[in-house]
Amino acid sequence: MIELQGIRKVYRMGSQSLEALRGVSMRVERGEFISIMGPSGSGKSTLMNVIGCLDTPTSGEYVLDGDRVAGLSFDKLAAVRNRKLGFVFQNFNLLPYATAWENVELPMLFDGKTARKRRDRVIELLNAVGLYEWHGHRPSELSGGQQQRIALARALANDPPILLADEPTGNLDSKSGEEIMDILLRLWKEGRTIVMVTHNDHIAARSQRIVRLFDGIVVS
Amino acid sequence: MNATLPRFFWSEYRKRRKKSSLITFALFWGTLSILLLMAFGQGMTTQFRISFSGLGETLLMITGGQTSLGYQGLPKGRQIRLYPEDIDYLRERIPEILRILPESDTNLQVSAEGKEINRNVHGTTEEFAALRTQIPQPGGRFLDADDVVRGRKVAFLGWKAATDLFGAGPPVGKTIVINRIPFTVVGVLQQKLQDSMYNGPDADQVYLPTTSFATLDNRRYIGRIHIQPREASQSLMIEDRVRALLGRKYRFDPADRYALGVWNTIEDAKEGLAIFKGIEIFLGIIGALTLLIGAVGVTNLMYAVGKERTKEIGIKLAIGARRRVILQQFVLETAFIFAKGTFWGVVTAFNLVNLIRLIPVGFDSNGIEAYLLRPIFSAQIFVAYTAILGVLVFLSGIFPALRASRSNPIESLRYE
Repeated sequence: MIELQGIRKVYRMGSQSLEALRGVSMRVERGEFISIMGPSGSGKSTLMNVIGCLDTPTSGEYVLDGDRVAGLSFDKLAAVRNRKLGFVFQNFNLLPYATAWENVELPMLFDGKTARKRRDRVIELLNAVGLYEWHGHRPSELSGGQQQRIALARALANDPPILLADEPTGNLDSKSGEEIMDILLRLWKEGRTIVMVTHNDHIAARSQRIVRLFDGIVVS
Repeated sequence: MNATLPRFFWSEYRKRRKKSSLITFALFWGTLSILLLMAFGQGMTTQFRISFSGLGETLLMITGGQTSLGYQGLPKGRQIRLYPEDIDYLRERIPEILRILPESDTNLQVSAEGKEINRNVHGTTEEFAALRTQIPQPGGRFLDADDVVRGRKVAFLGWKAATDLFGAGPPVGKTIVINRIPFTVVGVLQQKLQDSMYNGPDADQVYLPTTSFATLDNRRYIGRIHIQPREASQSLMIEDRVRALLGRKYRFDPADRYALGVWNTIEDAKEGLAIFKGIEIFLGIIGALTLLIGAVGVTNLMYAVGKERTKEIGIKLAIGARRRVILQQFVLETAFIFAKGTFWGVVTAFNLVNLIRLIPVGFDSNGIEAYLLRPIFSAQIFVAYTAILGVLVFLSGIFPALRASRSNPIESLRYE
């Protein structure tokens, strides 16, 4: 499903350069739930951005669902992000002026889905995360846990096979964190591939496999 | 474009419209200021043309004078007078003359319906009407050729003279008495703006046919000769020819500037119009600079709004928005904000101009209000302004939009 071969990512800042990923190779099979762990600065977020097609590697091969990602145009990468990947961020990243309904609907708008399809899917997803009654509320009117559940519903809008979660419980209290983990596990059991970045051993332990990064390379 | 996107853009715009209200207001205010500036500029120039034409268009006025130079053995200080036969003398010798006619005047007591007033009474011909913009009020007429030939006892009154004699009642057909001779009023001058005059505004004057006037004034010489050239550009040449011909006839040096009085209103009008044109150009330059400052301001605001939306753009890009969606949203929002601000600016300017034009300006007033209170909302200025501003706003909107659509989603997401 996800195959990385010798991925390097070098950031250049003037005459200085920083190698955030130094030849990362890994595979994630369809339906797998993995956690990426590592200390700060180990390259976890950079790796997540590369996997999520938000950033392109300096060198190396990335094959996603059978397609080579390297060399795809900005808009093709946008289409991949829109249809094949669902993102959950630590700080939710919801549009502040949009309601819960509108936030969930957005990826489907960008995919050109019809109003009826969007409506049915928004209702289905808001019910799935238990927040249908909150559909008219803006993010500022929701708790952190509720916001993350809305973000999860948005990530699932176009029914992507892969879910990428970057510290999804990092900004939540333990109860809300547990609720999010329960939803992620449910989604995995339904057949979705999940890649999660976390600092939390307890949370990581609930995934199938842990990939550890150190100084930009996979150590285990 | 995906058909649902415009509705989405609209819904997003409505949620954020408070944030763009400053730009909308800047466009509204800029449009209003510039259109008013141009309207006042054009109004002033037009009013100047109208009030100058109150005296008459393309006109040369010749009066007799006193020589200041000796000539052919004759001493300086001789009085030069003009006589009725000079009219034909000049007409025959200067083919560039379109119209030429005499006018004399003297201050006399005029009475009617028990009222007595002192007014300048003029003797002239029917062509005076066309030359000196003497348009009669409905129901009346100016003096005609028959009146002159037959020496009819008829009079044409300035509107103030008519009011002074007859009050609000209609004067046409009534009788006025000058030096115990009765004259029938055949017409009253329509109100007009007049910024140049001799012996007072036309509103106060009384006009009689030359032949009738001769019965009141026994001077053989005439007060002045009016000349209208065929082409305005010939006025200076005609002026020189008149000096040369009359100099030869009355034996004075054509270079003697005091032997004849010459009022070349064409040259005066050129100067006046040049001043007003200068003011109009000056206002245009101020308008253009204001437009430029406005465009810089709008660009700045658009840039700030675009910057503020960096994170939002990052989120949209992360969940699959294509570049053109971001670009379309910015361009459509810019176009809408431009249309909204400009529309209200134009509507307000248009209504203000029409409102100001409703303020009455007296025709006997040649004060500043006659020039200021008649702004003109010009369609050409509106079209030119909207086109220029549209291009400037489009450019000021497209750059932040391009920047936003090309931004790196990761960097945009990190932006706080």
